[in-house]
Amino acid sequence: MAAEHAIDAHNPNIGCTGLDHRKMGMWAFLGSECMFFGSLIGTYLAYKGKSISGPGPHQILNIPLTSVSAFVLLMSSLLMVLALAAVQRGDMKWGKIWLFLTATLGAAFVGFQCFEFTHFVHLGLTLQTNLFGSSFFVLTGFHGAHVTGGVIWLLSMWWLAMRGRLGPQDSLKVEICGLYWHFVDIVWIVIFALIYLIP
Amino acid sequence: MESSHSAQTAGAAHQEHASVHTYLRVAVVLAILTAIEIGALYVPGLPPHILVTLIIIFGTFKFALVVAFFMHLRYDSKLLTALFVGPLMIATLIILAIMALFGSYLLLPRT
Repeated sequence: MAAEHAIDAHNPNIGCTGLDHRKMGMWAFLGSECMFFGSLIGTYLAYKGKSISGPGPHQILNIPLTSVSAFVLLMSSLLMVLALAAVQRGDMKWGKIWLFLTATLGAAFVGFQCFEFTHFVHLGLTLQTNLFGSSFFVLTGFHGAHVTGGVIWLLSMWWLAMRGRLGPQDSLKVEICGLYWHFVDIVWIVIFALIYLIP
Repeated sequence: MESSHSAQTAGAAHQEHASVHTYLRVAVVLAILTAIEIGALYVPGLPPHILVTLIIIFGTFKFALVVAFFMHLRYDSKLLTALFVGPLMIATLIILAIMALFGSYLLLPRT
């Protein structure tokens, strides 16, 4: 334990706060992301019910389908913490499995969103149709882009693990990737409640 | 000496995470809350203000559970909590400010 602290004292990533700079940087980034999504959510709510032409949310949103995709993203967060726990205890076999399954569920969520967007376009709702269309597509589209970025990050982690270049000593890298992944999940918790569930 | 001690304390706190059993319990609670949220939509005759209140409370609770346990803020340094919760409060104010700016409210009927 004393040796571990001695190593920490000479680690250039540990600052005077005793925390890793990379982890602090990720939390600061997630804080800025809160404000980014806050402005998009605020705009959606401000425009809610202000469209002068259809289709509107009550005519077009498919709540059962989106409930399934929300559940998929929620459970991917569980798999992410299981991946981190496995990497931290040096169980790289399960670490790789959980990382890959997390990325798979993330990709499934993006697939659900692509299907939903395509379906809406066929029903006549595009970015240019009305205020609902523009605010809905921009908000959920930016979230989908974040999920896609997270899937690419997770697959990179999995690929490094498969090549033996990610071990228990790199658990902080997996933890930081996990922080980003959980963040896209909590943003969806808010979007799902405010857009889909509140009438 | 004191800074070295605080660094050691932070390092020790960093190591202390929830167990796999805790993660599974949290996931079960999240799934149940989501099921109740969605199920509430199909309850006939439920007044809209009750539904909205229920969804906001459950959504906030789910948000807090993921941040506290899956993102480990419950076990990590208070500095990280401040780094996240501070901007989160500002984001909430941004949402309320934009809604007020456009004269649109979530709960109150528009005139």
